[in-house]
Parts: sequence; structure tokens; C-alpha cells
Amino acid sequence: MARSTFTAEVLTPEGEVFNGEVEMVSTRTEVGSLGILGNHQPLLGMLAPTALRLYQSETDIVTFAQGEGYVQVADNHVLVLVEDAIPSGDLDVADLRDKVSRAESEIAEAEEGSEAQAKARRDKRRWETFIAVAEGPAPTAS
Amino acid sequence: MSQSDVKVRIASVKNIQKITRAMEMVAAARLRRAEQRISSLRPYAGAIRRMTRQAAEAAGGELGALPILKEHENEGTVAILLVTADRGLAGAFNSQILRAGIRAGTEYEENGKKVVYYATGRRGVSSLAFRGKETAGAYTGFTDRPAYANAREIAEALVAAYVDEKVDRVEIFYNGYVSPLVQEVRRETLLPLQQATILEGNDEENDGADEPTGHHALVEYEPDPADILKRLVPDYVEISVFRALLESTASEHGARMTAMRNASENAGEVITDLTLEMNRVRQAEITQEIMEVVAGAEALV
Repeated sequence: MARSTFTAEVLTPEGEVFNGEVEMVSTRTEVGSLGILGNHQPLLGMLAPTALRLYQSETDIVTFAQGEGYVQVADNHVLVLVEDAIPSGDLDVADLRDKVSRAESEIAEAEEGSEAQAKARRDKRRWETFIAVAEGPAPTAS
Repeated sequence: MSQSDVKVRIASVKNIQKITRAMEMVAAARLRRAEQRISSLRPYAGAIRRMTRQAAEAAGGELGALPILKEHENEGTVAILLVTADRGLAGAFNSQILRAGIRAGTEYEENGKKVVYYATGRRGVSSLAFRGKETAGAYTGFTDRPAYANAREIAEALVAAYVDEKVDRVEIFYNGYVSPLVQEVRRETLLPLQQATILEGNDEENDGADEPTGHHALVEYEPDPADILKRLVPDYVEISVFRALLESTASEHGARMTAMRNASENAGEVITDLTLEMNRVRQAEITQEIMEVVAGAEALV
């Protein structure tokens, strides 16, 4: 059965990466996984790193590795704001592993409980999630 | 000066003119790209601003509890971020930022405050080092084409320093992009937010998007508005830094384009002068030779 469609827009600071009609948007907020269908109630959510899937139809799915960001639903329009949105085909696992180990050393160096350490932890989680997106179709929740 | 001397000088000025003209064209092409990036950032920056306002309204009185929003009681240390370029040959572009930043820093120091310098761009970093000012953060190698990750690195260092109470105020100096011909030094306060203009309603640029207000009560928040703000605010700082970097890049190319155009024009004038000079020298040599021949002939008679 065809679902009702709605418009979705994915913006990053580097510009727009997606804008079009979709049937469903699948992503994850800091609270948990989230699937948005047509006529969703207004929402403002904070996104965690995960695979962002835009279902243009049952089989036509656009996947991005999304960094931290926000999602806003209003008037049957989904606006996804993320710092990174990398098409899943463009991920470079070797480079990501490099970033993970750099974040790990930053965690070890930073003062316990400081903002700098929290930042390094977020970095680590983001790059690890990206690796999961690059490697498998179903990333596991961290 | 002999004829061949002048010829050599004309050739070298012509070479310089070729280089400056090429640099002017490169700068023009890069300027166009930088302008495009500023305009592609606008929708994102506008949306972040609207969301912050929306979440701030929903969070209401809880705002003061966040460390990032807290104003420090003693404003003892000021962080100054100078946004300069990696390369020179762009007129007063770098020096005007350094001048403004160091002047402000000296003022703070006279008032008994400590100043911590952060700088982007090799020009700024090396000038600060030359003047004996230590930089707490130096970021180089990307001013031609700053990526968001660069802005994030800088913003996170600044936010971390602020939250960990290493600094009590963050200011940024950069060349604001007005037009290819005009750049102006802008000084903005990023933190504390209460003193920044960031949360105030209508900014100078109206992004024109329709603002879905009026149904706040129905909006679902995931997680709480206060938790969202905890991260939205640092993002706001990142966006501000990124915008400054992009504007600075556009300004740099604009300034270099203008500087190089002036240089090419000057080279053209120098070539005209030298060509005249060369003709004069050549004529003088010919006259001299004729005189010698005539004098020699007369001596024989």
C-alpha cells in the first residue's frame, strides 16, 4: 500500500544535501529511534549519530551517515539539520578508524569530567557510528 | 641608464604584471565560490536560530542553570579570536584584523584583565608570535576553503574553555564581507550569550522562511527543551565561527582581487614610463652617434 508522502529537507552547514518527497524518514534522537510518517505531529528533537534513511518508496532508500543535529516537524514538513550528512557510499572506514583512535587519546588526556572530555566522547561515538553505517546495513545502537 | 638596462626592467615588470593578473583572476574565481558558500550556509543558520528561539521559549526559566549560558561573576580572562588568512598579498586584510585585535587586547590588559589569544591563519599566528603574544589556539591551513569541521574545532575549544571557566568572555575579530571591494572589521561577542546579540529576534539578514510559530503548545520535545538547548547553544557558537570563517574567506579573496588589480594597473603604468624612457635613451644614443660621425668628418676636412 502506498503511503502518503511529505516533503523532507536535509540541511548541513555546507548546504542542502536532500530535498524531496518521501514516505518515511527514519532516524534516531537522543531518546530513541524515530520513524516519521506523513502527518506527524509537530516535533523538535535532538538527533544522535546514526544512519538517516529517507524512504522515497518501499525500495528506493537514500541513506546518509548523520552526525549530531536536530529534527523539526511542522506542517507535514520534515527539516533535518545535521552537522555531517555523508552519503553512505562515501564513507572512508580507514579514515574513520583514525578519528576514533584520535578521540580515544583525547579522552585519556582530557581532565576528568571536563567539557573537553565530553566533546571527545561525542566524537568517538559519532565516528564509531559512522563506521557501523559504512560496514553494515543495520547499525547497532551505541 | 643604457638601452639594454631599460629593456631588462620592462621585461621584469611585464612578468610581474602577468603574475598579478593571474592572481587577480584566481581570486575572482575563488570569491565567487566563497560567496556561494555563504549563501548555502544561510538556510541552516536561520533554522538553527529559529530552533534556539523556540526551545528557549519552551525551556523558560531553566535557562540560567546551563553552564554554557551562565555569566561568570568575575570577568577576569578574555579570549580573543583573530580570523586572518594563510597568505598575504591581500592589501590591509590581515594587518587591520591584527591591529584591531591587539588594540582591544591591550585595552583589556590595561584594565587588569588577562587576555588569551586564539588565531586562525598563518599570518595571524606568526604575527602574534612575532609580537611575543602567546596563542592558546592556532588554526592554520584552511583559510582558502574552511570546512565546517574547522569551525567546530575552534568553537569547541572556545566553548570548552568557557564552560571549564578558563575564560570568561569570548570575542571574535574578522573581516566581514560587504562586497568584493569592501571589507569591514567586525568585532562580535560570542560568549556569554546574554551579551551576544545571538538570541535577539530579527537579525540583519532575513532568511525569509516561514516561521511556524503559534503552535508551541502542541510541539513534542525529544528530549526536554533544556536538554536540547544544552547542545543547541554550542552549535550556535559553531555556526557563528563558521560564518566568520566564510565571510573572512570571501573578504580575503575580494581584498586580494582588489590589491592585485591595483598592482596590475601600476605595472602597466610603470611599463608605459619605462617604454618612454627607453625611446628617449635610444634617441639620445642615435643623436650621439650622428654627432660623432659629423665631428669625425669635420676633423678630416
